[in-house]
Amino acid sequence: MDDVLLSVSDFVALTNQTLEYAYPSVSIVGEVAEYRINQGKWVSFKLKDEGAVLNMFASVHQIRIPLEDGMKVVITGQPRLNAKGYFSISLRSVKPVGEGSIKKGFELLKAKLDAEGLFAPERKRTVPRIPRKIGVITSTESAAYADFCRIVNERWGGLEIVVAHTQVQGEPAPDQIIRALRHLNGLEEPPEVIVIIRGGGSAEDLATFNDEPLVRAIAESRVPTMVGVGHEIDHTLADMVADVRVATPTHAAETVVPDRQEIIRSVHAQARSIMPMVLSAIENAKRRIREYTMQANTNLQLQHSRVLEQLRNVRMVIAELDPQKVLERGYAVVRGIPKVGETVEIETIKQYITAEVTHVKKR
Amino acid sequence: MSKSDKTIQQKMTALNEMVLWFQSDDFVLEEAVEKFKQADALATEIDTDLSALKNEITVLATRFDKE
Repeated sequence: MDDVLLSVSDFVALTNQTLEYAYPSVSIVGEVAEYRINQGKWVSFKLKDEGAVLNMFASVHQIRIPLEDGMKVVITGQPRLNAKGYFSISLRSVKPVGEGSIKKGFELLKAKLDAEGLFAPERKRTVPRIPRKIGVITSTESAAYADFCRIVNERWGGLEIVVAHTQVQGEPAPDQIIRALRHLNGLEEPPEVIVIIRGGGSAEDLATFNDEPLVRAIAESRVPTMVGVGHEIDHTLADMVADVRVATPTHAAETVVPDRQEIIRSVHAQARSIMPMVLSAIENAKRRIREYTMQANTNLQLQHSRVLEQLRNVRMVIAELDPQKVLERGYAVVRGIPKVGETVEIETIKQYITAEVTHVKKR
Repeated sequence: MSKSDKTIQQKMTALNEMVLWFQSDDFVLEEAVEKFKQADALATEIDTDLSALKNEITVLATRFDKE
């Protein structure tokens, strides 16, 4: 190359060609410094260790987690020399590494999404108690998927379950899950709920579910979502943004459908609960009939007493009108024509007297 | 599914309405026994349906590892 005269542009192009051939993709671990977002579109920062510093460059959408100076990350990208002689790595992905940085990335994104209201309780939609069709996004090769199917089949029947097989860890996983979400949302007959599940794993394995575009895709899903990732103690942003947050894939299976044995017990109990109501109604009817009968009897007795009283009064009046009573009081009954010379009969209490009328005078 | 074309959910709703009838002002003792028989039969029907139903699981052929 000593005797080849190159233009500056040619040298840059040749260098890039060599770099592309030698390092089509490099992964480098280091600490973030001088993190900047320019014009809302471009991200630049330095990746450093104790002995060296590298320039990093990417578009905003390639950075799937919030970054902050001091975070330890693994970048994947391609080294390039730009036309101004500036050497940098064009980033394809950035992942936090180490417990501290993963936690920091999680907290930063959580705060950002929380400020946008993505975790607000009022955003949560309800899922049908008994869905007819559910969508599942998971790795069909996983034990979590096998458990989910077994438990759902034990608990309920008649469901149409549409399963989208995706990776659930590693760099491609978030985009695959996003595509699966969009696919299920776009079905002619979409499911009534989409369940995203993954079994337990390390913090790095579960980092897929803290990916910003994935979390946003779950929030944007038209179909209500349920996310069960990891074990009870694991919390991811995906399950925080989901409409229904469940602790594990097993819990997802137990939540998405009711238990048929419980329902069977419940419907029989419902049917049985009717008989006491019928018996109670019969008892009430009997009691009312008894009350009516007693009332009728009381009324009859009252009427009877009233009639007897009236009869007694009439008899008393009749008794008072008896002529014998009048005679007893000293009066007499006179029979005959009261004319002078005529004979009349006088009846007293003790005697019948015949008398001649000798004098009549008007009163 | 046994007897009627109703879904399990519809049958459960119907059973619930029957039970509510017994607690409502519409309750008539003369109809109660017949209604009870219907409710009991419906509960048995739901039991049969639930025990027999199987899920249909379809794994999509679509690949999500590409755009």
